[in-house]
Amino acid sequence: MNEALGWGRRYLMCPPSYFGVLYEINPWMHREVTVDRDAAQAQWEGLRTALVEAGAEVEILAPAAEVPDLVFTANAGVVNANQFVPSRFRHPERQGETGHDAAWFRSRGFQISELPEDVCQEGAGDALPFGNVLLAGYRFRSDAASHAYLSALTGAAVRSVELADERLYHLDLTFCPLDERRAIVAPLGWDRYGRRVVEALVPEPLVLDDDDALAFCANSVVVGRRVVMPTCPVRVGRQLEAWGFEVAVCPVGEFLKAGGGCRCLTLALDVTLAAPVPSADLH
Amino acid sequence: METEIVEVSGHIIDSLILAKVLDLILEAGADYRVVDVEIGRANRDPSRARVEISSPDRASLDRLLEQLQVHGANRVALRPAMVAACDQDGVLPAGFYSSTNLDTRVLTDDGWVPVDNPEMDCAIVLSDHRARTVPMHRVRVGDAVVIGMEGVEVAAPSRPRGTNPFEFMASEVSSEKPKALLVAEVARRIGAARARGGRILAVCGPAVVHTGAAPDVARLVREGWVDVLFAGNGFATHDIESNVLGTSLGVSVQQGIPTEHGHANHLRVINEVRRRGSIAAAVEDGFIPSGVMYECIRRQVPFVLAGSVRDDGPLPDVVTDMVEAADAMRSHLGGVSVALMLASTLHAIATGNLLPAGVETYCVDINQAVVTKLADRGSHQALGIVTDVGLFLRDLVGELCG
Repeated sequence: MNEALGWGRRYLMCPPSYFGVLYEINPWMHREVTVDRDAAQAQWEGLRTALVEAGAEVEILAPAAEVPDLVFTANAGVVNANQFVPSRFRHPERQGETGHDAAWFRSRGFQISELPEDVCQEGAGDALPFGNVLLAGYRFRSDAASHAYLSALTGAAVRSVELADERLYHLDLTFCPLDERRAIVAPLGWDRYGRRVVEALVPEPLVLDDDDALAFCANSVVVGRRVVMPTCPVRVGRQLEAWGFEVAVCPVGEFLKAGGGCRCLTLALDVTLAAPVPSADLH
Repeated sequence: METEIVEVSGHIIDSLILAKVLDLILEAGADYRVVDVEIGRANRDPSRARVEISSPDRASLDRLLEQLQVHGANRVALRPAMVAACDQDGVLPAGFYSSTNLDTRVLTDDGWVPVDNPEMDCAIVLSDHRARTVPMHRVRVGDAVVIGMEGVEVAAPSRPRGTNPFEFMASEVSSEKPKALLVAEVARRIGAARARGGRILAVCGPAVVHTGAAPDVARLVREGWVDVLFAGNGFATHDIESNVLGTSLGVSVQQGIPTEHGHANHLRVINEVRRRGSIAAAVEDGFIPSGVMYECIRRQVPFVLAGSVRDDGPLPDVVTDMVEAADAMRSHLGGVSVALMLASTLHAIATGNLLPAGVETYCVDINQAVVTKLADRGSHQALGIVTDVGLFLRDLVGELCG
């Protein structure tokens, strides 16, 4: 069996007290669709419980009325050990979240490293560690130019992937690291160069077909050997089980109305991107 | 053709971003030249590439630039060249930009300014919205000298490509080429340059006289195919000696046999010219009856005779201060578009150092090393023709003068 992920045991979540579809910034959002806030609360609790049952710790970020999407903590920023790089949101509607996110991390003793103001980067939603690199998406929400800065700030080796399908507007809708060699991948979301980059990166991919990708199968949370998923098609479930994973389906339909799944509602706090490596220059 | 430089950095190799950017450029019908690439040594190290994009028109270039920006490739913001004022005559500010002989332009606050007179190994001085090369010894206190490389753009020399054997052989040196073909082509190019209003420079070594080719050069001057002549004391002396006494270094040019006490012939000739004060005066009073120098005086073709440490005499017209000599040569280069380097090593190299790369330069010498040396010193435009200069000139006169 492969080595399990070295991260994914501690998460940050934000209760959906003020969650609603109040604006439209992705193809999934429609203001005429109302969110059942009670159902949303229940689904969110369900997810938190599933994570805790899987063995994870969950920390809570206090919700704020003016920023309904604060629930999607995956977009708060990029965590690297005790360093936090706050997001630079593309849309003004979400830019107000950064202050809340940064304040929480600062209060927990994280060192805050800022990206330049002229680039957008939407946190772990567009940057997931795999193996010894950080796979980073760009186009809809994050700028390709942010990747060099992200690398400079964190020391991570970045692999950039262009997102090609607006419905899969964040990398975490197309990619889910499972362990050291495996990941759930949705090639629908990438251009041909991005597909080749992921192909070279992931030795054993679990490839989603287009329907499964659009059902946000890749927007799952992995805690050790448990995969907490918004939905799990039979074929995907069988493959995961064959690899020794347990699947926990955790419906988050109210959040899908805003274009977010399980992963979007969580931010892993125990990620270390650039483990010190011996210098190649040692004589 | 419109061009811009974009820069892209990060893990652009493993992420295939550089590949994608280059593909996008080609797919857009534009072309690229990678200006420089720094590739990270380890997996974690970022890389950086600067790519020059050329596109047939501005609108499509702008569209492409916008497209490339998505992938993190941003236009490199060019800054005007830095300038420092000279604080000592003949001494450049530290960090001065050292010029090439290629077409060069400088970005100033008023936009791009072309360098008037490209010359290698000079400084670039800006004044009155103009840029010119100035040799070190000629800068004066207060001159605005370009510092560093930023804001200076050098046009890459375009290598002729084609099926024409002459173009194919351009910049190569060989004794194995069909000479008649080359001479005909040189003649055609001289004719074409002349038709465009270009001036023709001849640089002559003493071997031109020794090989008996001086009458051919004299004819070229007489018939208007030479607009300016550079040579040394030796060439002028032997030209005059052969026309006054019929010998070159004491050897009869006609019979090829040494004449009695002929070793002093050139000194006697120099002495007589010195007595008259100048070559022009010696022509006027009939002492010099014919020859290359005679024709130059008669046709008012300017010449510069640059001396050297081993000169006899020298002739009164020889400039013995080397800095002055180089300046005198510079002053005659305006409008020159063809340079013929005829069996001359030192004067050919000295001239090559002064010429812009755009001047068609033909270096004729029996010794391949001379031609190679010229190219090695930066005169890459020189086409070497390895042959006896006498044979070359006879054929050239045949082509040009019929």
